[in-house]
Amino acid sequence: MQSSPNMLTKVRPSICPRTPITPSGPRHISWDRSIAAANVSFFAQFESKSSRAKGIAFHPKRPWILVSLHSSTIQLWDYRMGTLIDRFEEHDGPVRGIDFHPTQPLFVSGGDDYKIKVWNYQTRRCLFTLNGHLDYVRTVFFHPELPWILSASDDQTIRIWNWQNRSLICTMTGHNHYVMCAQFHPTEDLIASASLDQSVRIWDISGLRKKHSAPTSVSFEDQMARANPNQADMFGNTDAIVKFVLEGHDRGVNWVSFHPTLPLIVSAGDDRLIKLWRMSDTKAWEVDTCRGHFQNASACLFHPHQDLILSVGEDKTIRVWDLNKRTSVQSFKRDLDRFWVIAAHPEMNLFAAGHDTGVMVFKLERERPASAVYQNQLFYITKEKHVKSYDFAKNVESPPMLSLRKLGSPWVPPRTVSYNPAERAILVTSPADSGTYELIHLPRDATGAVEPTDVKRGQATSAVFVARNRFAVYNPSNQQVDIKDLSNSTTKTIKPPAGTTDIYFGGTGCLLFITPTHVVLYDIQQKKQLAEVVVSGVKYVVWSNDGLYCALLSKHNVTIVTKTLEQVSTLHETIRIKSATWDDSGVLIYSTLNHVKYSLLNGDNGIIRTLDQTVYLVRVKGRNVYCLDRNAQPRTLEIDPTEYRFKLALVKRNYDEMLQIIKTSSLVGQSIISYLQKKGYPEIALQFVQDPQTRFDLALECGNLEVAIEMARELDRPNFWSRLGAEALAHGNHQTVEMTYQKQRNFDKLSFLYLSTGDQEKLARMAKIAEHRGDFTSRFQNAIYRGDVEDRIQMFKEVDMYPLAYMTAKAHGLIEEAESILEACGLTEDQIVLPTLESPLTVPHPIVPTFKSNWPVKAAGHSSFEKALLGEVGAADDDAGADGFEVEEDDEEAVLAKDTLDDDEEDASGWDMGDDVNVEEEVDFVNVENTEAGAGSSERLTSGLLLNRQVGAVQFAPLKNRFLEVFKASKTYLPATVGLPPLVNYVRRTTDETDSRKVLPIIPRDLETIASVDLQEGYAAMRGNKLEEGVTIFKRILHSLLVNTVSSEAEVEQAKKIISTAREYILAMSIELERRSIGTDSPDGLKRSLELSAYFTIPKLEVAHRQLALMAAMKLAFANKNYNSALGFASRMLANGGSAKLLEQARKIKAQCERNPQDQIDVDFDPFAEFDICAASHTPIFSGSPCVTDPFTGAKYHEQYKGSVDRISDVTEIGAPASGLRLFVPSQY
Amino acid sequence: MDPFSAEGLLNIHNAFHSGQYQNVIDFDTAALSSENQLPARVLKLRSQIALGQTDEVLAAVSSEEDTPDLAATKALAQQAAGKTDAALQLAQDLAENNPDNGSVQVLCGTVLQAQGYNEEALALLSKHQGNLEAVSLVVQIYLQQNRSDLALKEVQTAKRWAQDSLLINLAESWVGLRVGGEKYQSAFYVYEELASGPSTSAPLSIVGQAVAEIHLGRLPEAEAALNAALEKYPSDTELIANSIVLNVLAGKPSEDLESILQQTEPSHALLADIQEKSALFDTAAAKYSPKVSS
Repeated sequence: MQSSPNMLTKVRPSICPRTPITPSGPRHISWDRSIAAANVSFFAQFESKSSRAKGIAFHPKRPWILVSLHSSTIQLWDYRMGTLIDRFEEHDGPVRGIDFHPTQPLFVSGGDDYKIKVWNYQTRRCLFTLNGHLDYVRTVFFHPELPWILSASDDQTIRIWNWQNRSLICTMTGHNHYVMCAQFHPTEDLIASASLDQSVRIWDISGLRKKHSAPTSVSFEDQMARANPNQADMFGNTDAIVKFVLEGHDRGVNWVSFHPTLPLIVSAGDDRLIKLWRMSDTKAWEVDTCRGHFQNASACLFHPHQDLILSVGEDKTIRVWDLNKRTSVQSFKRDLDRFWVIAAHPEMNLFAAGHDTGVMVFKLERERPASAVYQNQLFYITKEKHVKSYDFAKNVESPPMLSLRKLGSPWVPPRTVSYNPAERAILVTSPADSGTYELIHLPRDATGAVEPTDVKRGQATSAVFVARNRFAVYNPSNQQVDIKDLSNSTTKTIKPPAGTTDIYFGGTGCLLFITPTHVVLYDIQQKKQLAEVVVSGVKYVVWSNDGLYCALLSKHNVTIVTKTLEQVSTLHETIRIKSATWDDSGVLIYSTLNHVKYSLLNGDNGIIRTLDQTVYLVRVKGRNVYCLDRNAQPRTLEIDPTEYRFKLALVKRNYDEMLQIIKTSSLVGQSIISYLQKKGYPEIALQFVQDPQTRFDLALECGNLEVAIEMARELDRPNFWSRLGAEALAHGNHQTVEMTYQKQRNFDKLSFLYLSTGDQEKLARMAKIAEHRGDFTSRFQNAIYRGDVEDRIQMFKEVDMYPLAYMTAKAHGLIEEAESILEACGLTEDQIVLPTLESPLTVPHPIVPTFKSNWPVKAAGHSSFEKALLGEVGAADDDAGADGFEVEEDDEEAVLAKDTLDDDEEDASGWDMGDDVNVEEEVDFVNVENTEAGAGSSERLTSGLLLNRQVGAVQFAPLKNRFLEVFKASKTYLPATVGLPPLVNYVRRTTDETDSRKVLPIIPRDLETIASVDLQEGYAAMRGNKLEEGVTIFKRILHSLLVNTVSSEAEVEQAKKIISTAREYILAMSIELERRSIGTDSPDGLKRSLELSAYFTIPKLEVAHRQLALMAAMKLAFANKNYNSALGFASRMLANGGSAKLLEQARKIKAQCERNPQDQIDVDFDPFAEFDICAASHTPIFSGSPCVTDPFTGAKYHEQYKGSVDRISDVTEIGAPASGLRLFVPSQY
Repeated sequence: MDPFSAEGLLNIHNAFHSGQYQNVIDFDTAALSSENQLPARVLKLRSQIALGQTDEVLAAVSSEEDTPDLAATKALAQQAAGKTDAALQLAQDLAENNPDNGSVQVLCGTVLQAQGYNEEALALLSKHQGNLEAVSLVVQIYLQQNRSDLALKEVQTAKRWAQDSLLINLAESWVGLRVGGEKYQSAFYVYEELASGPSTSAPLSIVGQAVAEIHLGRLPEAEAALNAALEKYPSDTELIANSIVLNVLAGKPSEDLESILQQTEPSHALLADIQEKSALFDTAAAKYSPKVSS
């Protein structure tokens, strides 16, 4: 180590050179130079250029690093931004020691001027200097908790200082040569020191701590001790005692470090060795030696989190060693610069090394976890090299699926992973051994970190799937891309453009080649280049979810291109871009070191949120951004997508969505307003602004005068009025102009305005005002405007301008007036020489009374946006005004009426016909031996028979559509060889089944669809008073159920419920339809009508719908003075509850009817008797009287209808003997 | 190896089998070697037939019937033009005289199969020497005979020597769609890959993708694919036919599509089947009637 020839020139005493130590074989420096350089420079975060760097310190929280230089300067860098924040120059000569205080805004430095300086970096001042060392200060360190500074000096002492009272509290002597380094133990009361006396010493300072730990009372001795800190206390120098002396280096020792948690020590010496020591409570011993440096080793330390040792040396290398095996893991060599010092960030994976021309900050490994996204799943590789998956929708992490422990080298994490959903395989690359890839099939179920079997591997730096059964690997050593099949054999070889660094998936069958300056799209099959785009330094490629766009990420730029590589937009970031992912709507969400940001396709971008740690985005869905952190843990970040959604809506002119956003979120703020204004949407910006002045400006910009007037009134300042006036004038809105002129008391302009609009009355008033004000010019002007000669003459006279007055009078032929003027002047006509008089001025009269209203103005600038605003209000009004069958939507509607299950439904278990062909199985179905030609027809006949037996079906015509529907949906047509008919395949409802004897055909409109779609349609028809439609829908439901199948007994029950629901609705609707079809003119008609309206209330409808029936019945009864019946309906309505509006009406009618509970017309309806309604005649069947039921729907009929077709289903025969509909055959499943 | 996989013919060959017939016709064959000229020409002619330009094809080959390849093309064109008897006659002659010619095997095999001569078609095709088209045709014939076991065997044999071929992938998908289960998904991947690739996307591949999705029960996805394709190719009959199936499955009205299909191809299997079944239904329904008419 050379010292500077500064004021304190000193040459390090040379220790007699021994025989040079042979570098221990090429193994340790065998690291391929090019790869080494490529790798470490890849991870290099920051490099500074300066003179020789002797000391380095990381700030524990901020991205700062202090560098003390041989040139006496101390630099403070922001290594993330790459900027020099500050320089501190008070030392005289080289500064070797430097350290940040762990919590305070302080740092300490020690230099060749023997001084230790404590600085405050906030005030940017040196607070004080600690003097005492008698030679160069080599290192300075703060104690992790106590207010102590530890310094090591060439004066062979180690000293501890209290920086709070700025005093020396301990001097440790014992080394008999320069002390090159001294460090506190991170947790224990120990110090390690390294000296050129070839020893490392461990000191116990527990005595010192005891002495200085806050005493309860200050004794005299303590005071004495504090007063004389430089001296040994009265019990001898026991504050710090040497615990161990570690001898083993046979040259001077330059550096020593404690392990953060284990009882280990590492030291670096001029003997070019790195030595590892272990200690117990009682002894310490040498464990092993790391050989490799071929020049003096200058510094070394333990990796804060991993079992690694890092060392630097004057051989211009940084070396990484395996702590457990003591073998070299990695090394990096600089061409010219010797390394002097190395430091580790206390928390992050960051290191800094100081060399002859500056400092380099670097990462030891990639922190970007390899990951791949497919649909709802993220596949990623953890720090333990386990493959895991994460389900975005369920927010669940899978257990480890595979262990990739054997991939690459143990210290090198995999770089990329590519997923193939068709084969459920992954392709992993690792940079180890100059790039390897492995193709591994994922196990079906994640059972734990098992070692993969059947692994295909090879040499490549990049590997991606390009098709279902193909992947591409790129090997830069031979500059060749191989397309391989899944058995890892090469099927094709492609020569990529020169200088290709990486390859990416380029859309189906295509690859993207990344070169330092270009990105090239290449079609693998056609073997030709399709497109290329000039983008430099692309590192990552992110495809949009629809595959139409792709984002090319480089260090500081994002370039968005189409799938054919046409550049769409590009943006620049000063902070490093880390990752990106696409929103479903085509917005790119990307992350920098400390922000999540968005970019629209047009390049508009902005910040969404800040990040406290760097993350790698993998997906965005709604308000959630999914990412992996540096520990490869999936994390979910909440974001507010409002801003970019709004901007996107703006770009797409999707005003409805914008409206929605404006209404539902608090989207305000200057940025959005100025954005809108800048983008030419002042009318939209207007919606966000509260501040009157801004509102005024925006209103003027978009020509919204009403708002402008309102704001001008609020502001009421001449400046605003005049601007408003100018704008209004341009619009031709003269009434507003008038108002602004009035506000500004701008009389001249007002007069002219009145003249031009022909408002004589107001012009006269202006003249008055002018007279009143005594403003003659104005008065004259007004008089001219009005053509008021008298007034003009009068005015001339008043201002003694008789000649003019005379002239005027004369010119207008007012002889008398002229003469009187002459008289007044005492002149006669002869005395005046008059110019030739021309015809007098006549003021044209206005033809159109423009002043009465504004000129026709272009329809006020309502943008479609504002229209949407207005439109929505209108729609809401319509809603409120709608009438008819108006009921609040009932949430319970989806729930089927539980009480309507009809007992008459025959139990399916009654079936014992011995036929195990199910009714719905009539669809001919694929079977290897099955020649389907005739099968359909014969089975169809069977099905007819079955339906006849089960439910007494006799009239099949209404079922035809249903049958054909089932048939049409039964098979697909797959075009195969051209010229031949398409291949026919039967659609199955058991999609996972492959045994042709077990597959089952699909039945369209299954129970679920009927319940969730058809039934709701029926209800909607009821609500909407579309009864004919309703009957059709419910009949369709019955027909669909008749030819259907379900998969469980529970569903059979549900189907039965639906059948009875449909029956009740068809019955109710038919009754009401009949009522509507008969007139009420005749007494009979009226009576029947009243009866039917009463029967309408009997079927078991949903409560909300029954209320409608009751309402109708009540009104009809009330209108026909059947108060007693109306009373009954009203009471039932009130008992049912529900919509307040209906109940209110019911209450009113009830009150009225109670006064006179009599029926005027006698009807056949007894509200208190139990009866069913005959579905054919729509007359009551009182309990006990004979009736027949329909075997399918369960509808009741008077006996005379036996044998005819069911009015409800139109299919079955009333009263036919039947076994019951069988929808489910348990044995089949 | 498949004679068509020669570098020069690969692209035109793939374009043909992915259904991009116009691309095949527009293909610049000037750069092809002389021995590849004839196969390329046959492919072009077949594309014309596929697009319905049978008269042009018949005219083009009329003077060159000595070349068996072109004669086979003529047979196919006749078949497509409805001159089935002449086509059959020509095909049978060619099968007898030139059974080793690849084009004859494939084209005449097609003609024979189309006219229901399964066994003869199979016999002719069995003479092929590594002709992938013949293999795929054999697979289709087996499938039409409902012999999916034989079809599967055929595919697996062919896969050993031509795993990468588009035709084998397609044939495997045909079988897969018949077998079902997991094979549906594999077939879907094959078609999806074709449908999404710029150089292979055509109604053929989109229909395949949608059919696979229908079989997988993923109706909304199938609908999206079919609707997008219908916009691009409004008169493709298989697109329409499968859209009808899909609409019925999804409970949507399909009448419009049925009438469109009626216009574009009244003889389509779907319509014919419906008609037949409709008549059968009426016959069957007529056997029942209510005891009392109302």
